[in-house]
Amino acid sequence: MIWDALKLSLLVVSFATVIICVVGLLFAYLLAKFDFRGREFLDALLTMPLVLPPTVTGYYLIFLLGRRGLLGSFLYDLTGWSVVFTWQGAVIAAVVMALPLMIKASRASIESVNPDYEIASYTLGKSKLETFLRITLPLAKRGVLAGLILSFARALGEFGATLMIAGNIPGKTQTMPLAIYEAVASGDDRRAQILALVLTAISLLAVYFTNRISRSQVYG
Amino acid sequence: MLDVNIKKRLGDNSSAFLLDISFSVDGGITVLAGASGAGKTTTLRLIAGILTPDEGIIKVGSETYFDAARNIDLSIQKRRVGFVFQDYALFPHLTAEQNIAYGIKTNSKTAKAEKATEMLELFHIEHIRTRIPREMSGGEQQRVAVARALASDPSVLLLDEPLSAVDVETRSKLLDEIEAAQVKTGIPFLYVTHNEAEAARLGRQRITLEKGRVIKM
Repeated sequence: MIWDALKLSLLVVSFATVIICVVGLLFAYLLAKFDFRGREFLDALLTMPLVLPPTVTGYYLIFLLGRRGLLGSFLYDLTGWSVVFTWQGAVIAAVVMALPLMIKASRASIESVNPDYEIASYTLGKSKLETFLRITLPLAKRGVLAGLILSFARALGEFGATLMIAGNIPGKTQTMPLAIYEAVASGDDRRAQILALVLTAISLLAVYFTNRISRSQVYG
Repeated sequence: MLDVNIKKRLGDNSSAFLLDISFSVDGGITVLAGASGAGKTTTLRLIAGILTPDEGIIKVGSETYFDAARNIDLSIQKRRVGFVFQDYALFPHLTAEQNIAYGIKTNSKTAKAEKATEMLELFHIEHIRTRIPREMSGGEQQRVAVARALASDPSVLLLDEPLSAVDVETRSKLLDEIEAAQVKTGIPFLYVTHNEAEAARLGRQRITLEKGRVIKM
């Protein structure tokens, strides 16, 4: 039971963290470097999961991705499959809930890189992508890493939105936070204790490393 | 050979500023002088493609970098322009050697290393090969910046007040080195300064800007 929840949590969080890293960096770069109409609105929209009750975010996810949802209905008609009540649904919930932390930290960090470094790289013949990978990202890495670790921790602790879209099916969608809830509800204190301690330890380590990275030496 | 004939409106309505310049320089070092705010740095940025002129033509040798009438506007990457920034803009996480090798246009690792070494020797900075900018003196940073810009084999080198951050003693030495580098590469150098001593020292050819216009050539 405990192992099932731990394994599933790790599976969900691994996928979610990889997706958050790529998507988060894309949005952070877009928001940091391009001055387009609706930029701050997009930022606000992407930040919503941070301030809305997770159940509300979960509700919107069902509205979008459910079997009769805005996008979900197409997917269901096409494949007969829906993300609702699947571990993939839990990944989506974790990504949406944790993404704002990655975007916020990365955007600020990318914006703080002196644009002359990027221009210098362009004058040396390097493309925008190569410049981002070789100059901007290494210089912004503290914030990016901090954002990634916080997102990882947030994804690991995701409860409300996951419950809404993926449900609470032991061995299938029951991640650690959900298993704790069920253990307490069914009076299994021992199991709740162990799970809570494991989650606390991982989260504590995550925040500890985030702080260490944030205090590490800067160039320049 | 560098031909510039461009116009660029800058700032908003309340502080509008019209840069309207036309000049042509051959080989050698040309000093671009003028008080601060005259448009010197903007001119360099327009030539490099960091900013886009509203109208006009920029040509280097036979290659047209910008021609508003013909809709030509080469990207920064495609212009073969070396740029030495006022604060050098050395990549802070890379060593002197890595900074210099960064823009060398070859895929062969050996060729890249050889060229980087050649540049390190040319500027007498082999001993700081493995240092990052934070560990270099102002003069050393300046040498790496010029070496980095020249390592990418540009057709023209633009220097934006490259000696404003070094002391007077070092300055004279660096000017010698810049002159030597110009002779060795044979490409035109356009050298921005508002320092009269520097301008007098370098200036066989001088262009003076005032309020966005060329007043003396």
